[in-house]
Amino acid sequence: MSSDLIIIGMYLALMFTAGIFFSRNIKNTADYFLAARSAPWFWIMGSIWATNIGFLHGYLAHGGAAYEWGLIQANFEWFQGPFGYVLTGLFFIAFYWRAGIFTVPHFLERRYGSGIRVIYSVAWLIFFVITIAAELYLGGLFLKRLIGLPFWPTVLVLTGVVGTYTLLGGLGAAIMMEFVQFVIMMLGTMPLLFILLNMTGGFEGIKDVLINQWHISDQYFSVLPDNHHPYGPGPWIIMGQCFVVTIGWCAGHQSMVQRNLGARSLYDSKLGYIVAAVPKTLGAFLYIVPMLAAPIIFAQQGIFVEKADAAYGKLILNLLPAGMLGLFLAGLVSAGLSSISSVLNSSSTMVVKDLYERFIAKGKSDHHYFVAGRIATFGVIVVSLLLVPVVLKVSLIMWLEQTLLAILLGPFMGILILGIFWRRTNTPGSLIGYLAGSAFAIWYQQIWGQNIFFKISWWSFVVTLVVTVITSLLTKRPQEEKVEGLTWESDFHAKVGAIAERRAESSGIKITAMPHIKITMPPWYLNLKYWATVILISQLALLLFFG
Amino acid sequence: MEEQKGANPKLIVAVQMTSIGIILIILGITAFILSPLDPLVNPRMTPFIRMWSIISNSSMTILGVLFAIGGLIRHKQAKKV
Repeated sequence: MSSDLIIIGMYLALMFTAGIFFSRNIKNTADYFLAARSAPWFWIMGSIWATNIGFLHGYLAHGGAAYEWGLIQANFEWFQGPFGYVLTGLFFIAFYWRAGIFTVPHFLERRYGSGIRVIYSVAWLIFFVITIAAELYLGGLFLKRLIGLPFWPTVLVLTGVVGTYTLLGGLGAAIMMEFVQFVIMMLGTMPLLFILLNMTGGFEGIKDVLINQWHISDQYFSVLPDNHHPYGPGPWIIMGQCFVVTIGWCAGHQSMVQRNLGARSLYDSKLGYIVAAVPKTLGAFLYIVPMLAAPIIFAQQGIFVEKADAAYGKLILNLLPAGMLGLFLAGLVSAGLSSISSVLNSSSTMVVKDLYERFIAKGKSDHHYFVAGRIATFGVIVVSLLLVPVVLKVSLIMWLEQTLLAILLGPFMGILILGIFWRRTNTPGSLIGYLAGSAFAIWYQQIWGQNIFFKISWWSFVVTLVVTVITSLLTKRPQEEKVEGLTWESDFHAKVGAIAERRAESSGIKITAMPHIKITMPPWYLNLKYWATVILISQLALLLFFG
Repeated sequence: MEEQKGANPKLIVAVQMTSIGIILIILGITAFILSPLDPLVNPRMTPFIRMWSIISNSSMTILGVLFAIGGLIRHKQAKKV
């Protein structure tokens, strides 16, 4: 065990040192909040995936759910996630980029006015602080249960490391560490899959034992189960989870979007998001598929697992030799740290850009906001740490998280889609639609008692669409110059203009009055459409095989 | 609102690549040294697990070396510009 502790300690020390070293390069707000707009596509890819995987949404929770419910949990990795990444990369990111914004609420303000910006950013900030506290709590608890590290000192060390590099280095440091974490998670935790498959006779061997010998329902091996499945009915996974929650998460979650805004070009931003679907798909082989073999290993070795969430830890503790376990634990700690750093950096960006600079201290120097960013990061760390004891009441936190997500994602998707694809959508329409969708989500969840999250998101999305359309039609049309450049129509015209201009140039015709967007053709192997097609076909193949 | 001169984006990527490389090299080598590969010393280290331990540690180290070299080359190029 001591060698494992040395590896974890070494890993944390390296993170800490590299963060301080990197921070010497950070000089202004663009460096701090958007990594000097320097990130190439492969940085974006690793960072997006690492941001998406944490203790809460990854190894422990998803692994535990896979142990309990089976392959249905892989629908996040093999269906919704890649679909959301590809769609966001192809369609939504371009609007954020061209609007020249720092945050998603900033885009909403450009399209709809400041009211929606404040509501949206405050709701996300609450969600972010809870997420950081929950990740810290789970990290401390996991290391305490697994290798006996004391809870509070562990939480403080994790906070110190991730807080230092994020506070000093901003998004650039966070992206850098997330790429390291991406590599460690992939290379450090992937061997578990092969070891387990070797021990249980492969995927067919696992199926044979669980279905033929233990008589477990074959729905355990289905990614999209039938409509009566208690955990996730297939049709609702497609409608509510895939089309609303996942795309809302990918296009509306500040941490996911901010990495793309830090890219060195729009092309890198789009490609990074699209190819992040590849590690996302592989993620199921890190923490979903191994958990299907876990019941067989536990039965063979006589291990009792009292709670599904503890299954992953017990599996690695009883299987992996010293040294390898240390690297594996470093991978798990990475998952937590990557989530925390991304959310921490996004929180400070929203505090400074959406609230402080917009409403409290307008027109100050860039250095002023740069310092404010670091102070905001520190403030979010302190508030999150203070919340850790509250997280002990996990049921309360889960309730708050679910409610906030229901309020945020369904209504957000409603106004985002209308805002981009329908120029007639106006400020009163979006505000009333958003509030109506959120109120409906709370009512449906808390009073009606709906506990299937996908259904809440889907119906709150529908309510938002209907109310926004009706209110917009009943009120004044938005001014043309206000929506210019922020809708699909203007984006389409600009692209058509640029293509026409290129064709005209090649034919020797001189055109002066054309809308300008510079389009450079990448080599075929970096073509966005090829990647998107390959990824979507591979998702379809996985679904056909495991559906 | 005055804007301070920001960092050179190429230099930022070079520093990131070098740092990532160094972290991966140190971590890969440390994990390799601290994993007793002998099944007599470590009974869980079956031949199959040993193979995967070596693959995991060595690929991390090789990737680290590639990133570190790439980072240093980019660093030189960025400084020239």
